[in-house]
Amino acid sequence: MCDTCGCGISSVRTIDVNERLLASNAAQAEQNRAHFAEREILAINLMGTPGAGKTALLEAIIAKWRESRRILVIEGDQATDRDSARIRAAGAIACQVETGLGCHLAAHQIHDALHHLDLRDGDLLFIENVGNLVCPALFDLGERLRVVVTSPAEGADKPLKYPPMFRAAHLVVLNKCDLIPHVPFKLDEWTDYVRAITPHARILKTSALGGEGLGELLAEIDNVRQAFSANIFA
Amino acid sequence: MHELSLARDLMGAIERKLDRGKVRVVRVSVSVGSAAGIVPESLRFAFRVVCEGTRADGAELSVTTIAARSRCADCGIIFEFDALIGRCPGCGRLGGELLSGDEMILRTIAVADV
Repeated sequence: MCDTCGCGISSVRTIDVNERLLASNAAQAEQNRAHFAEREILAINLMGTPGAGKTALLEAIIAKWRESRRILVIEGDQATDRDSARIRAAGAIACQVETGLGCHLAAHQIHDALHHLDLRDGDLLFIENVGNLVCPALFDLGERLRVVVTSPAEGADKPLKYPPMFRAAHLVVLNKCDLIPHVPFKLDEWTDYVRAITPHARILKTSALGGEGLGELLAEIDNVRQAFSANIFA
Repeated sequence: MHELSLARDLMGAIERKLDRGKVRVVRVSVSVGSAAGIVPESLRFAFRVVCEGTRADGAELSVTTIAARSRCADCGIIFEFDALIGRCPGCGRLGGELLSGDEMILRTIAVADV
């Protein structure tokens, strides 16, 4: 009997598939990752709340490193090229991806953006994702390092409210840490919540504007870069 | 609204599977881990929209939620939960290391000949 409406016509058949969703994004991400590994390019996916200071952190990193290394940034925003203009003004190479109705970047957009960038062996590539604590967590871009940026004024309980995002992070950055004395934010509580969601991620406090913690952030990126290079040549 | 991207991806997977077969899609079933961050109602809504005008127009989407599993960071107990985050039944500690529960799987496609 028909299992749709019980009409007696046995024309409905069921096909077993058992395939993961987002398999095509995963395949493109793996292709991106292989491309980066082949050229020893460290790709970092920078995610976080809108207004947490992702672009300001990039400006601070570029200011420290622009003489010593080539930095490229893929900027994802729903609209405008304001952030890529800021990155260029800071002294790095930028490519803007306007996602329109899209709330996150996907692996194929990174592949497309690479065609607009003069990528060279050994480059450092930042991908600044669309500011959003939900959707970007689901989409692998082929990065080596996933960083989540948040800030004190957002409240200490953000990790509990957005678990997949914090679970995806290798490194969690509390930016604007100089605001801590001025807003109702308990650092211990926030740290406990981050640890509850992701027991192994590194946690850093920074102030992109004041400079606090930037040295540690740069050292962390350098550690990942060294492990990455060692891994490639192992 | 990443469910729209997921629905488009689902539609792509269905089209690849059915290829040029002359069928219409009656029902699609997916299973998602409770910790994956997928809202079944949003996914069903987005799926209805992306199916419009295709051979899956009007197809029913059945979403089964699978319990997630975590290992407690304090006492090491492995426990199941039906949410984005769980609490250890042994010591009450929140969260822990996620062992499973972020999967999103296309299980079956029910089709009828046209």
